[in-house]
Formats: sequence, structure tokens, C-alpha cells
Amino acid sequence: MSEQVAEKTCTCAEKFNGTLQAIFDRYPREESSLIMVLQDVQEELNWLPPEAINCVAENLNVPKAKVQGVATFYRAFSLEPRGKKLVKVCMGTACHVRGAGMLVDELERRLEVNAGKGMSPDGEFSLETVNCVGACAMAPAIVVGENYYANMGPDKLKRLLNKERES
Amino acid sequence: MIKAVEKPVSHSEKDKTVRITIDGRSIDAPKGMNLLEVARSNGIDIPSLCYHPGLEAFGACRLCVVEITKPGWENWRKLVTSCLYPVEEDLIVYTRSPEVMENRRVVLDLQLARVPNSDVIRQLAAEYGIHDTTYTKRKDADNCILCGICVRVCEAVGANAISTLSRGPDKYVEVPDPEACIGCLACAESCPTDAIGWHEENGIRHIWHRDFELVECETCGKPILTQQQIDHFVEKSGLEERYFAKCDSCRKKETAVSISRVMF
Ligand code: FES
Ligand code: FES
Repeated sequence: MSEQVAEKTCTCAEKFNGTLQAIFDRYPREESSLIMVLQDVQEELNWLPPEAINCVAENLNVPKAKVQGVATFYRAFSLEPRGKKLVKVCMGTACHVRGAGMLVDELERRLEVNAGKGMSPDGEFSLETVNCVGACAMAPAIVVGENYYANMGPDKLKRLLNKERES
Repeated sequence: MIKAVEKPVSHSEKDKTVRITIDGRSIDAPKGMNLLEVARSNGIDIPSLCYHPGLEAFGACRLCVVEITKPGWENWRKLVTSCLYPVEEDLIVYTRSPEVMENRRVVLDLQLARVPNSDVIRQLAAEYGIHDTTYTKRKDADNCILCGICVRVCEAVGANAISTLSRGPDKYVEVPDPEACIGCLACAESCPTDAIGWHEENGIRHIWHRDFELVECETCGKPILTQQQIDHFVEKSGLEERYFAKCDSCRKKETAVSISRVMF
């Protein structure tokens, strides 16, 4: 079985300009590499398209059902296309009591997107709620990529989005 | 001289069997066997949902809990899942203590909220005095209790078609890639709550979003297996395809005939 794996040439890897092939080459082709490979694939493609999931299964020689199970188990994996930037609104206790709910409402309205689902029509943003980002003193907090935004209010969101659009 | 012969024997025996006490009964059991099997093979009933004797224990349902203690523990007892607990010397087990019963009641109460329409769970719960769940019933509930037996059986068969998808309250059992399914029914037959629907009609077996044409027994014409099953078994077992051409009863009849020819 292991020789089979070594010889496997899949057409799916070409689909993504060979980028997946480079990822597969980084890890031993076995089940224990699954999560790391999926993380790298998501980093590369920004989400996990069905073809990529099948390609991972083929190349690691792991049943598709198992890959699907892992990909849907972790919240970190997205099975839908996401915007270029991910806006995370903290809904932890501290942020929640300081009005994080309003931030979500306002962002959903401004970005025309639902939290945890899809992306804004311009493809720039996806929106997600998280539970405590460890910045309770800055509540309510929003995180976009590496940037932390403190003491947010619905009135400050326009500036936040403009800034993120430009950078 | 006798001693010299006996010693190694008794030593190795001692290594292999352990003496434990279950509900006051002294029992000899093979060391390392799980408590659930030991109890059952001695006629002591412990309920279970996610345990399957042919598969590695999983410990998902928590229904098989029992209380254990040991002579040196000064009456301290703890709850363990018997399906996952290997027996060891001097173990003292209580399978129906108040603590055990209470824990099973909680498990069944929760299960009843998850699968309010399952006859199996309703009956089991009733045996523990629970006729209606104290929790909120799941809406549009199927009969799946997420015991994982189907997933593990499918893995054992080698098809690897079933998986649990998502997590937490949204977790469900699915065949994400119907191509991998061979239509063998192993999952449906081993499901403790009959949650996996399937049916056969006009030589077609339907299971997991897919129709399988059934191959007929070459002697009596009864539909027996799916072609995918045959291909899979041929590949895994190395037996010839011909081996699967007849149904069980036709093969037995033929064997009987040929034996009688030799014998009489
Ligand atoms: S609750 Fe939002 S950072 Fe802790
Ligand atoms: S049978 Fe032991 S936990 Fe389910």
C-alpha cells in the first residue's frame, strides 16, 4: 500500500497551481499529518474547497470520510469561501456585557454578511464571533488578522473597516 | 520434585487470571479483559449502548458505568466505564449500587431528550424508572445516539465510508462520499437504535443516498449481495468471485448433497 502512495500522481494538485503538492511534500504522507496539512491548505487557499479535501484524502491515503470528519470538527477550518480578511468580534463575557452584540449587528449590516457564514459581496471580509480573545480589559474587542481594536462601539466601525480595506 | 514441576505452572496461571468480586460474587477472570465482558460472561447484566464485542471499546455512551473499589482503598469508591476497564486482582465491583443507578438514569434521561422516538431507548429508560425526559426534547429527532458503532464497523469492514461530521450539538453521522459505501448493511445491522434507514425493492438495495443493484444467487435467483460488496470482499479476502455466486442456503444444500454422496 505504501508504494502506491509514493507513486500517486493526482490531477487535483495541479488544479491549485501545484501549491497543494508543495504542502504534501512537507509532511509524511500519513494520517497523523492530516491536521497540519489541512491547516496549510487553508492558509494557502483561505478555505477548504471540496476538491482540495478530496485531494488531501488521496495524497495522505486517508479515507475521504475521515478527512471530512476532521475538517468539519474544528472551527478553525472553513468549508466555505471566506473574504480576504476575517473580522472576529469577541463575544466573551466581558465583551458581551459591554455591547459586543451591537457590534455584530452593525457589522452584519455594513458588510452585508452573516456572522459565521459567507463573505461580504466585495469579497473583502468574513465575519465571525469568538469567545474571549484574552483582551478583556479592552472590551469590547475586535480582531482583524493581527490587529486588535479596543473599546469598540458601533460608531467606530466605519473607520475600522476603511482602515482594513486600505491596508 | 513435584514442587519443581508445579511452580512454573502456577506462576504463569497467576499471571493470566485474576480473582475479582462482582456484586458480592467471587469470579475468576482473564487478566486484562474488560469488566463488561467479564460480568456478562458470568451472567451479570450491565447495560451498554456503544459497546460492540467485535470492536475496540469506545466509551462514548457512559451507560455501562459501575462502581469499583479495592481492599486498600478504605471504602473509597469510584465510577468507571466497565467497557474500558481492564480487570485486575482484588477488584471489587458494584453494578447496581445507588450511585451507579443514579448515573445511568442521568444518561438515559439525556438520551431520551436526544432520541425521544427511539423504542430501544424508551424501553431502557423505562426500566430505570424514566418515562419522560426532564430535558428539552430534540426537534425533528432521528434515532441516532452518536454511539459511533456504525463508524467503527465500517472501518472494520474496510470501506471507511461513514464519519461523524461537525461537533457538539450539531454532530451527526453521515457518508460524505457515497462512492466509498459498498452497501453491505454492516452499519445498519449493528446500530443499537435502528437509526440507519435502508430498504430493498425489486433487486435494488437503497442505503445512504445510494441505490445498489443486487447480484442474484446463481442457483435460486434470490438477490444476495451488491456487486460492490463482492468486489470488496474479493479484494480483501483473496477468495475468488465464484465463492460469492451462491446464497448461503444454496451453498449449504450443495455441501450436504456432496457429503451424502461421499458418505452413503
Ligand atoms: S471577553 Fe472579550 S476579550 Fe475576554
Ligand atoms: S458501553 Fe461503555 S461507555 Fe458505552
